[in-house]
Amino acid sequence: MPEAQFTKERHIRYFLRCLKTFLPDLYTSNDSNRMLLAFFSLAGLDLLDVLESKTTPEERQGYIEWIYHCQVRSGGFRGFSGTDFGDEIRTRDNEAWDPANVPSTFFALVILLILGDDLSRVKRVECLKWLPKMQRPDGSFGEVLGPGDNVEGGGDLRFCCFGAGTRYLLRGRSGAGLDGVEDIDVDKLVTFIESCQAYDGGMAEGPFCEAHSGHTYCAIGALTFLDRLSSGSEKVQLISPGSEKYESLVRWLVSRQTTELGEEDDSEDDSDDGTSEANIAQDLAEAVAGLSIDESIVKLLAIPPPSENSLHWAGFNGRCNKYADTCYSFWNTATLEMLGKLPLVDAAGNRQYLLEKTQHLVGGFGKGVGEPPDLLHSYFGMVSLAFQGEQGLNRIDPALCATHRTVQRLHALPWWRGTE
Amino acid sequence: MIITMEGKYASDPEWASIQPIPLNDGSETGAMPLATIAYSDEYIEGTSYLRAVMAANEMSERALKLTEDIISMNPAHYTVWIYRARIIFALEKDLLEELNWLNGVSLKYLKNYQIWHHRQVIMSSRDHFPTIPPKEMDFLMEMFAQDSKNYHVWTYRHWLVRHFELWDSPREIADINSLLNSDVRNNSAWNHRYMLRFGPRSDQPDGGLVNANGPPSEKGRLAVVDEDLVDEELEYAQMKIVTAPENRSPWSYARGVLRAASRPLSEWTDFARKFVVDNRDEDGKLVNVEVKSSHAVEWLADVYAQSGPDEAVRMLNLLKEKYDPIRKNYWAYRIGQILNGEVPATA
Repeated sequence: MPEAQFTKERHIRYFLRCLKTFLPDLYTSNDSNRMLLAFFSLAGLDLLDVLESKTTPEERQGYIEWIYHCQVRSGGFRGFSGTDFGDEIRTRDNEAWDPANVPSTFFALVILLILGDDLSRVKRVECLKWLPKMQRPDGSFGEVLGPGDNVEGGGDLRFCCFGAGTRYLLRGRSGAGLDGVEDIDVDKLVTFIESCQAYDGGMAEGPFCEAHSGHTYCAIGALTFLDRLSSGSEKVQLISPGSEKYESLVRWLVSRQTTELGEEDDSEDDSDDGTSEANIAQDLAEAVAGLSIDESIVKLLAIPPPSENSLHWAGFNGRCNKYADTCYSFWNTATLEMLGKLPLVDAAGNRQYLLEKTQHLVGGFGKGVGEPPDLLHSYFGMVSLAFQGEQGLNRIDPALCATHRTVQRLHALPWWRGTE
Repeated sequence: MIITMEGKYASDPEWASIQPIPLNDGSETGAMPLATIAYSDEYIEGTSYLRAVMAANEMSERALKLTEDIISMNPAHYTVWIYRARIIFALEKDLLEELNWLNGVSLKYLKNYQIWHHRQVIMSSRDHFPTIPPKEMDFLMEMFAQDSKNYHVWTYRHWLVRHFELWDSPREIADINSLLNSDVRNNSAWNHRYMLRFGPRSDQPDGGLVNANGPPSEKGRLAVVDEDLVDEELEYAQMKIVTAPENRSPWSYARGVLRAASRPLSEWTDFARKFVVDNRDEDGKLVNVEVKSSHAVEWLADVYAQSGPDEAVRMLNLLKEKYDPIRKNYWAYRIGQILNGEVPATA
């Protein structure tokens, strides 16, 4: 079999098409996530190292203007321009219908850095004053402030991650210029995150929910952002090698790598669970009916070791007993990268899965085998490859989910470093 | 953006009093809009009216209908749901009717998160729902028939259990048993079982961690252990393991059960040993190892890591070299920890 190829030129064309032409009507259900889609488009081109050669300075300035157009007067950014009814109509009574959005604020700031903006027009103090209002008494974050300043949206780890991320971006290492601006309650946030670790070691949306790689990424992302600004030397257990919490989390993460890809010949229906295994279980259940547990074990056959062929493609799932999916290659490898344990995965299997199974002919990546490309899976597929040193891709910071150059731009801002 | 107002709202007398607010994407101020979408005319018109009624804080029947229209095109719109909930309560609408409507929307958009949050907002009204409506769990089972691992539905069901204190409701465990009987690899169902059996029993302000106020090492462990319950659950896990020995879910479940009860993994040494058969010749020399579950090998490695490093390394090598080579780097890491005398994790 010839070595798998990363088709860089096609990916460049795919991302440029997404950036410069209308996304199809199908994306209407993602209208509220336009800031996220904008992030994928621009971060994708930056990762491919062509943002500055394939867009003009005028275009980049125009994009920057659009991001600032999405800034809310009272601090923070909207997820899309569709809630904006205009400054002249906006009042204290109706502003809840055009609120700043926690994840979108984070992505807007990262986009500005990717585009080379110095964040000088960001309402930094207003945004940082808004942030603690987004935190609930249990330490978790919501998505938006609704009527009556109620924290709205689920209390899950996504909002915790982007709340902590926004704090990292705007507070800076020194907190310069922020006298009297109340910080979020870091201890409570950490306590909430710790309580989301499930019995199998992974992190769930909330306490006692099922462990899930997306939420696991968000949990460790949040702790990483907090840790980067922390002056104390003591690390939270979840990100401290050797602690039980850390080791059980690493075990859970590496267990997500799987050769069950959900290809059409794997099962007859299109659900995304391991039904072939389920059928075997059903047969076994009938075979052992009426036997004691010990008798049943005696009757079990030895398992065959996996064949070399079956190990060639090894993607990642997001939960125990699910099929592989491109985005989980990202959520799991990014988390392991933050924990310093990425070398524990089978990088070749992941690369072959992404390049030979979900990389699309026209550029971009699909969610699963043979699926059409979309922005989210295209960006996350490439980022996972970038962690593994794929040629032609820039290096990526796993928490910011953007290139090292983007992080360096942030760290060079005078108020961030604390030299101003 | 110029909108030609010929759509269903512009031509409807009910909407004549409303001046729609067109989308302002910033083009007039020099912005180049990002992630532009080829919207349908219906969506462009509907959202223009939505901005107008929201700006006026209008709580009306027509606004309610409009939210339904927008949701049908963009169910992930994050303020339209909050606005809809506000109207529902302001107009004192029949909440059961709202749930019925949601049922249809939920079956249409299986992966949507806002729908389930809205359902929770509606169901949170203690005045309307002092107890759980009788058909609620039936509907959730209907959802599970579409996708028995739907994360949003499980999270919502988890919330229902806590909100209505249903841990010991016969319906809960019956549904879980039925889902596990039809697919023993359904990890979501295993997780829900764990929450029913070992989750916190009252609405604790900490977010639901068992024994949250105890010392750090005791967090997540039960203060009072019902040993009979623990034994029953361990036996249940064993019964399910023998039907699918390579299914990780019940092995993880058993780890969680033992941990909650502060009991050691070594309780299961004999059980795990039966899946790892050493075949020896007449002189007692090891000829080969017959493995019936790789998870049993992993379990034994964890037990022996505490008591006998050589045997632990032998188990880890079985995984690394033969039964789980995808994770060979991980198993090598574990072997390294043992050889370096580092205390391994047992959870």
